[in-house]
Amino acid sequence: MKKFRYSLATVGVFALATFALAARVGEPAPDFTSVDNNGKQQKLSDYRGKYVVLEWHNQGCPYTKKHYESGNMQRLQKDWTAKGVIWLTVISSAPGTQGFVTPAQENEYLQKMNAVPTAVLMDSGGTLGHLYAAKTTPHMYIIDPRGNLIYNGAIDDHPTSDGSDIPKSKNYVSAGLTEALGGKPITDAATRPYGCSVKYKD
Amino acid sequence: MSLRSTPLEDSFYRETFPRKIKPDMPIRNLAAFRLATWLIVSSMSLYANAQPVQVTHARVELLSRQTAVSGKDLMLGVHFMMEKGWHIYWVNPGDSGQPPSFNWHLPGGFTAGDVHWPKPERMQSSPTLADYGYHDDVLLMVPIHAPAAMAINGNLALSFILDAKWLICREVCIPDKAQLKISLPPGTDNANSATAKLFADTEKTLPAPWPRTWKAKLESQTSNFVLTIDAGKPINKAFFFPLNPDQIDNPSPQLLRVQPRGAAIALRKSELLTKPLARLSGVLVLGDGSAYRLDASSIAAKAVK
Repeated sequence: MKKFRYSLATVGVFALATFALAARVGEPAPDFTSVDNNGKQQKLSDYRGKYVVLEWHNQGCPYTKKHYESGNMQRLQKDWTAKGVIWLTVISSAPGTQGFVTPAQENEYLQKMNAVPTAVLMDSGGTLGHLYAAKTTPHMYIIDPRGNLIYNGAIDDHPTSDGSDIPKSKNYVSAGLTEALGGKPITDAATRPYGCSVKYKD
Repeated sequence: MSLRSTPLEDSFYRETFPRKIKPDMPIRNLAAFRLATWLIVSSMSLYANAQPVQVTHARVELLSRQTAVSGKDLMLGVHFMMEKGWHIYWVNPGDSGQPPSFNWHLPGGFTAGDVHWPKPERMQSSPTLADYGYHDDVLLMVPIHAPAAMAINGNLALSFILDAKWLICREVCIPDKAQLKISLPPGTDNANSATAKLFADTEKTLPAPWPRTWKAKLESQTSNFVLTIDAGKPINKAFFFPLNPDQIDNPSPQLLRVQPRGAAIALRKSELLTKPLARLSGVLVLGDGSAYRLDASSIAAKAVK
């Protein structure tokens, strides 16, 4: 990770630059098109009418490993896709950084780990990551059938890399999907994501 | 007994910090200093000679500001000596990472206070990511409160044991842990010359209380907070470190406008902030490196066009 001393604020300028709209709960989720692990184009708006989960992923990150080596993430993928939810895993690691994989390596990993996302989006340029301001692996988002973002944050309420914490954790993705599918608003709709930093190229 | 250090604001504000803060004062000649420490401590054949533990990309040791247990409170410190480029995290780690956690096993009646967190550094790794933490070398001081009445059993040393867990990162992150131990004999003469400089230097990096004559207020706009500081003099440079996550957007630039009696700083709101904010707490670091604990209450938002 590059290091910087805090950059001193600019004197005299007072309007913050307008950032590209990131993903804010309650607002439309930014649309995107991205190539998946099988070379297929995936467009978010093609899934209008369904719930979509985005899962930021880095197979080398200890926090990601916590949820894969325990089988927790695969269980979520299996349970929720069985209920019609679209699960898109996103890899924003730049080439040469931790977690960067080729589509073939990713398919091998999915098979080895018995992971069953709907698709894995190969975002090594970081476009999708920056569009959603994804911070960590994991970092989870839920988008409702109308295309609005209804959850942004952590996978659960135990910000550790220790798999033994999973049984006592509240899983925000499961809780959010359960509420949303039951027609209720999500109680914890925005939480602090935890994990490794996403390994962007910049 | 054991006590887990509690993160965030409770722990932060109950502590007593020294008044004076100076610009960054790195510990020079660390190797020589540590060698001297080791020589002095070992030659004195005291008990206060915890050996550093080699861990992944760092050495870590438990140090004491005192050489003996006199019945007064002690100050211990967890000393992280990291390889170049590696870092650990502040109590608010920012966008990723995790602060160290300490689980103490102390002699009967002793209790551990909260970590005295030095002012952090900001580490920005991309336009959308910024973390807060410490590079190279940091001492995390923890007060150990002695019981009101302490039973001394002859010359038997008392053991202070710490189970420490932390996350250390450079390009990648590694969770690690160690059990650290220090034994201190009963005694009266308890100033530890071997660690005095390290503890004193570290004290200078702790944020000071907010000066009584200064004022801070927070105004909420659509996308930003404006933090207005009245210090009675212009502030040309400042940086705000939020104590709590999910309030301000960590990687966004903080834009400062100098005012005759201070400054106004625009802070972009966090995407994760879903409710109005009553207070904004954190550490304000000025251009000269001085650091202050800030707690600004929100004023009614002006009508913004």
